Amino acid sequence: MKKQIVGLSIVAILLLSISVYAGVPLDTVQANVNKVFEVLRDPKLKAAAAKEIKKEKLRSIYKGMFDEVELAKRTLARNWNKLDDAQRQEFVQLFHQVLEKAYIDRILSYTNEKAVFYKENTISKNQVEVQTKIITSSKEIPITYRAILVNGTWKVYDVVIENVSLVMNYRTQFNEILVKNTPEQLLEILRKKVKAQ
Amino acid sequence: MIPASLASKTRCGIRLVKRLLLLTLLLALLTVGCAHDPYRASSMEPSQTQPVPIASNPEQISLNSPEMSVNSRSGSIADKENLTDSQENVGEDKRNLDDVEGVDENGVDDKESLTNMQESGGDEVTATISDPIEPFNRAMYQFNDKLYFWVLKPVAQGYNMIIPEVARISVQNFFFNLAFPIRFVNCLLQADFKCTATELGRFTINTIWGIGGLLDPASREELNLRKQDVDFGQTLGVYGVGHGFYIMWPVLGPSSPRDSVEIVGEYFLYPVSYINPWYLWLGVRSYQEVNDTSLKIGDYESLKEASIDPYIAIRDAYVQYRQKKVKERGSQTKASQVRGSDVGELTEH
Repeated sequence: MKKQIVGLSIVAILLLSISVYAGVPLDTVQANVNKVFEVLRDPKLKAAAAKEIKKEKLRSIYKGMFDEVELAKRTLARNWNKLDDAQRQEFVQLFHQVLEKAYIDRILSYTNEKAVFYKENTISKNQVEVQTKIITSSKEIPITYRAILVNGTWKVYDVVIENVSLVMNYRTQFNEILVKNTPEQLLEILRKKVKAQ
Repeated sequence: MIPASLASKTRCGIRLVKRLLLLTLLLALLTVGCAHDPYRASSMEPSQTQPVPIASNPEQISLNSPEMSVNSRSGSIADKENLTDSQENVGEDKRNLDDVEGVDENGVDDKESLTNMQESGGDEVTATISDPIEPFNRAMYQFNDKLYFWVLKPVAQGYNMIIPEVARISVQNFFFNLAFPIRFVNCLLQADFKCTATELGRFTINTIWGIGGLLDPASREELNLRKQDVDFGQTLGVYGVGHGFYIMWPVLGPSSPRDSVEIVGEYFLYPVSYINPWYLWLGVRSYQEVNDTSLKIGDYESLKEASIDPYIAIRDAYVQYRQKKVKERGSQTKASQVRGSDVGELTEH
């Protein structure tokens, strides 16, 4: 009898832990995206003057949601090895700024959109794909987040918008640049880009 | 009397020129489309190289062949031969594999790049396209860019201010519904009957209850007949026709010889193409373009803003988008065929 109880409880624990584990990446992404929408819809932050506060809040959400280094590394792929440590750090920093400046105003303009989270695909042991949809008044935009398990938390390392992977898109561009230029020249191009923005 | 006959003659002439253009396009496609294999072209891209080079002997390479056969269909037969060869030497191969793993652990740099590559494999296979006419394409990109910022965007913005969004969405729905023949024919050509039925249902419902297509009641939850995303370039892709190379058409935007079939398809199957005289057709077509643009102002700007080289960014986005679209369709039709054959087997037994 005791054995059976022990056996059953072990099975129960195993089953429960599996079901919990399976939903974690989706929940993590969902929680983060919902946080973004909360900031965007916050009536206290409606005023134009609150834009900077909103941006600051979005920035901290981004830091928690994305694995910046992984993201930057993947855009360079094998070219990552051509950069030394200092260059890598600067690259991550610059790339972050390029992304932020390009997308933050766009994200701030969203208010009436709805996000639907509907599927989670396992890519490998520590990588998962979370499929979502943003529903706007005129269309549905499929957005897939690819997340990796880093120190027990799921961090996003790629965003696929309408079938176009952000990482792949930058990888093609950086690759093209690095065929003809040195890493230092790439950094210089990025520095200029950030300044111009 | 004379001017009337002259007008009809010029109309005839214009039509003739149109036909001629289409024919040359078709010819160009036939000669070019098949010679280039997109999969092989993509494997030339350095970022996409498989972790094969580490293999020190041919057996190891043959172990990798299942992956390779995915990438190059033309090479799949040869690969299969390799496979059967390698199956005979499985034991040897395994030892070789162990060797390779040992090398991985020693060369840290190699391993890093390797894991990068392997992780990026699987779902996210690099999509590339050859771009032999890049100077022309870049010039056309500049032209389209100016066309957008100087003409299309200001007009669309003005239009935005006058017409409320709901109406603009209705107009978009209307034109979308009107293009039903293109989607219907492509669903048929892809032998995807679920898609065909959905399209037919959507067209009937939206035309009758959606006031001639202005509304889209078919995709509401109760009916849930989703928009089918099919076109001619995709149909060819499903049947294995490659892109060929990258073309940036003036006005029409990113394309390839394969996807340019859409222009031909539209000419025959899109009702707007039958509008006569030609300037009325041009007017309607431009209006549609302005309306579509008015609903996505800002998309292109942020894409351009975010990119380091906008030309490359757009080219890559186009290739990724098209590849995924073909792949999704391909697997869907394959799945429905497999299901069909399963059923066949079941009834046989």
